[in-house]
Amino acid sequence: MTHTRPRRRIRLTPYLFLLPALLWYLIFLGYPMFYSFIISLTDWDGLSRGSNWVGLSNYTSAIFQDQVTILALRNNLIWTAGTLVIPTTLGLLFAVALDQKLPARTLLRSIFYSPAVLPLVAVGLIWAWMYNPQFGFINEVLKAVGLGRFARGWLSMFETALPATFLTAIWTGVGFSMTVYLAALQGIPREQYEAARMDGATGPRLFWNITLPWLREAHVIVLSLAVINSFKVFDLIYTMTYGGPGRSTQVMGTWMYFNAFQYYHAGYGSAIAWIIAIITLVVAIPYVRRMSRD
Amino acid sequence: MNRNTTIRTFAIASIATLLAACAGMPGAPSAAPAQPNAPAATAAAPAAADATTAPVASGEKITLRIASIWDATSMEQMQPVLDDYMKQNPNIQIAVDNTAGSGAAVYPDVLKTALASGNPPDAFFMWGGEIAGPFIDADQVLNLNDFYKQYGWDKVYGPWTLDRISRNGSKFGVPYTAHGMGFWYNKDNFAKWGVEVPKTFAEQEAMCEKLKGQNVYCVSIGGKFGWHTMRILDYFIEHQCGPDKHDQLNALTLSWADPCVVASYQSFQKWVDNGWVVPDFLTVSPDDSRFPFFKGDAALVLEGDWYESVLKNNEQDNKKYNFYLPPTDQTPLRFSTFPEQFMISKDGKHPNETAAFLNWLTSPETAKKFPTAFASSATIGANPDCNEWPLTCGLRKEVLDAKSTYPPTDQAFQKELMDGFFEVQDNIVAKKLTPEEGANLMQQRVDEWKAKNKK
Repeated sequence: MTHTRPRRRIRLTPYLFLLPALLWYLIFLGYPMFYSFIISLTDWDGLSRGSNWVGLSNYTSAIFQDQVTILALRNNLIWTAGTLVIPTTLGLLFAVALDQKLPARTLLRSIFYSPAVLPLVAVGLIWAWMYNPQFGFINEVLKAVGLGRFARGWLSMFETALPATFLTAIWTGVGFSMTVYLAALQGIPREQYEAARMDGATGPRLFWNITLPWLREAHVIVLSLAVINSFKVFDLIYTMTYGGPGRSTQVMGTWMYFNAFQYYHAGYGSAIAWIIAIITLVVAIPYVRRMSRD
Repeated sequence: MNRNTTIRTFAIASIATLLAACAGMPGAPSAAPAQPNAPAATAAAPAAADATTAPVASGEKITLRIASIWDATSMEQMQPVLDDYMKQNPNIQIAVDNTAGSGAAVYPDVLKTALASGNPPDAFFMWGGEIAGPFIDADQVLNLNDFYKQYGWDKVYGPWTLDRISRNGSKFGVPYTAHGMGFWYNKDNFAKWGVEVPKTFAEQEAMCEKLKGQNVYCVSIGGKFGWHTMRILDYFIEHQCGPDKHDQLNALTLSWADPCVVASYQSFQKWVDNGWVVPDFLTVSPDDSRFPFFKGDAALVLEGDWYESVLKNNEQDNKKYNFYLPPTDQTPLRFSTFPEQFMISKDGKHPNETAAFLNWLTSPETAKKFPTAFASSATIGANPDCNEWPLTCGLRKEVLDAKSTYPPTDQAFQKELMDGFFEVQDNIVAKKLTPEEGANLMQQRVDEWKAKNKK
C-alpha cells in the first residue's frame, strides 16, 4: 500500500484579513520609501522636471565630506546617549514610586504622563518662550530665587542650546517610559517580594534582585524605542532653535529637511534620510524580532 | 467562488493598485541629463499664444488657485478684493491656498511640494531675487515678457522692483508689494533719553553709547531664523563697503574675505560687545524682538513699512513712533528694499485668465478702491489712506522714490548659501570666530556652494 504524505492545509483567511492593512502600508509607506531610495541615487532638486543619476555619491558625500552631517550625527549620538540614561531612568523611578499605594497616585500618573500626549511643535514653542532670555519663565524664576547669575540665553548660547532643548525632550519622554514600566510592574508576582522579605531582603535588594530582572522585556521596549526616537528627533529642534545658533543644534532629521526641502537637494536629503533609517533599522530589527519571539 | 479564485482576485487587485500608484510620478529621474540652470527665457512659445492651453470658452466657469501667505488679518482685507473680482467676473472663482503667516523659511517648502506634485496653483506669491531663482531655474514659472507688453506693466510698477523680479533679462513675476526698511523708534522715548535721529554712522554709534549709559539697548533683534540679524549686518556692509562693493558681494564677484567685510563683522561684534544689542538674541523669534522695543528697554528695531500695522495690532499708539533711514555715510544713501511678487505657474491651467486677474489686482484703480489691502503696493500711485497710515505712507514715499537700493542678502543668495552666511554671523556674535576668520569662512562657504551647485 502506497503511503502518501498528508496535504498540508494552509490557512489563508488570516492573510486575507491582513491584506488591506498590508496594501495601505505598501502604498503609503513601502512605495514612498522605495522611491525615496531611488531619489537618493540622483541629484534631483525636488522641483525640476528631470535629474541625473549619481549613484552612491550622495551617501559618500554625507558620510565622508559634509561637516554638518558629521556634526548632526554627533548631536544625535549625544541625544541618544542622554535619552538612554535620563528619561528612561526617571521613568523607571517614577513608575516604582507610583506603583506604591499612594494617595492621588492616579492623578500623579496622569500629570507625569500628560506631556507625552502634547504635540511636540506646541511643546517646542512653549518651551522656547520659557527659555526667552528677556522675559522667559526660567530666567525669571532664577532671578526671583536669588539665582539670577545663572539666568542666560539658554537657547542662544552654543554651549547650552542642545542641552536646553534636550531638557524639553526629557520632560516629554519620561511619561512614556513611566507608563511602560508601570504596566510591567503590575505583572511581577507579589509572592516574589513576600518570599524575599521573609528571607530578610530589604528595599534596594528587592529592587535589584527582583524588580529589575522582571522588567527585562520592558527595558527592551523602552530602550529600543528611545534609540529609534532619538534618531528621529526633529520637531523640538526645528521649533526651539531651528538648528542654531550657527548650526550647533543641527540633528540628522533637521539637516535632512533643510537639504531636501530648503536647499533644493532632494536627492542628497533623501540619502541623509536613508542613513537615519539604516541606523534605526539596526536597532529596530532586533527589537521587532525579540517582540515577535512569543 | 472557490478559494483559489478568491486568492487570484485579491492578488490581481493588489498588483493593480500598486501599479496605479506607481504611474505618473512627477519628477522621475531621467536618463538624459537635465539642462543646468537653463533659463526659461529661452522658452519658445509666448504664453498668450500657448497652444497647449485651450482658451476658456465664454461663460465657462473656471477656478483660479492662488497660493499665498496671507494671515487672518490680511485675508480679512483681501477677501473683499477677491469678492469684487469674482462679482465682476462671475465665471471665475478665486480659491486661495494659504500658508498663513509664514515667512521665507516655510512657505517655499509648501509651494515646492505643490509644484512637484503636478498640481500647481495658477499663481503664487513669492519674494524677489534668489528666493524665486530656483523656481525659475526649474522651469516651473511662466516667462511673462509677452504679458508685460500686452498690459504695459513696465510703466505700472516701481522701477527697482522690476529689476529685482527679472532674471537673465526676462521678467517672471508681477511686483505686488515694495518694501523698505528703516530704524523705527518711539519719539517720546527719544525725547526722554535726550537723543536725536542720527545723520551719520558716527552719530548712530554715539547715540547707542549714550543709550547704554541709561541702561537702554540700542537695537532689539530676534535672530532665530537668521534674517533679522542679517538686516543689521547688511547695514554695516553697506556702510563699510559702499554701494558698489556691496552689490559685488551680493553678486559673488567680490571676495567675502575683502577687508570691508572684515570691518563689517568688526562693527557687528563691537555693537554686541558694547551691549548695544539686546543680549542673547540668537534664537529669539523675530516677532519677540518687539517686546523690549515696546517696553522701552530697546530704542530701535530695524523693520519695514509693514511695521505700522504691527504697532496697531499690538495696541501701540502709532503717533508716538517714527522711522529713519540708517545713515551709511555713503552716496547715494541706500537702504534695504525688497519686492514681493506673484508668479504664474508654467503648468497652470489658465495662464491668460491668471494674468488678467493679476493685472486687475495690481492696477492703481484696485489699489485706490481697497487702500488698506494694498498699503505696500509696488504699483506707482497706489497708496494707503495716509491719514490712517501716515508712517507707512512716509516710508513708502522713500521706497518708491528711491533711485538706488540694496536687497537684503537673503534675496541675493539662495537658502543654502544664506545659511552659511547665518552660520558665520552667529559664530561671530558668539565669539566662536574672529571677524577675520568669519570673513574667510564666508568666502569658503561661497566657494563650496558654487562648486556644489556648479555655478
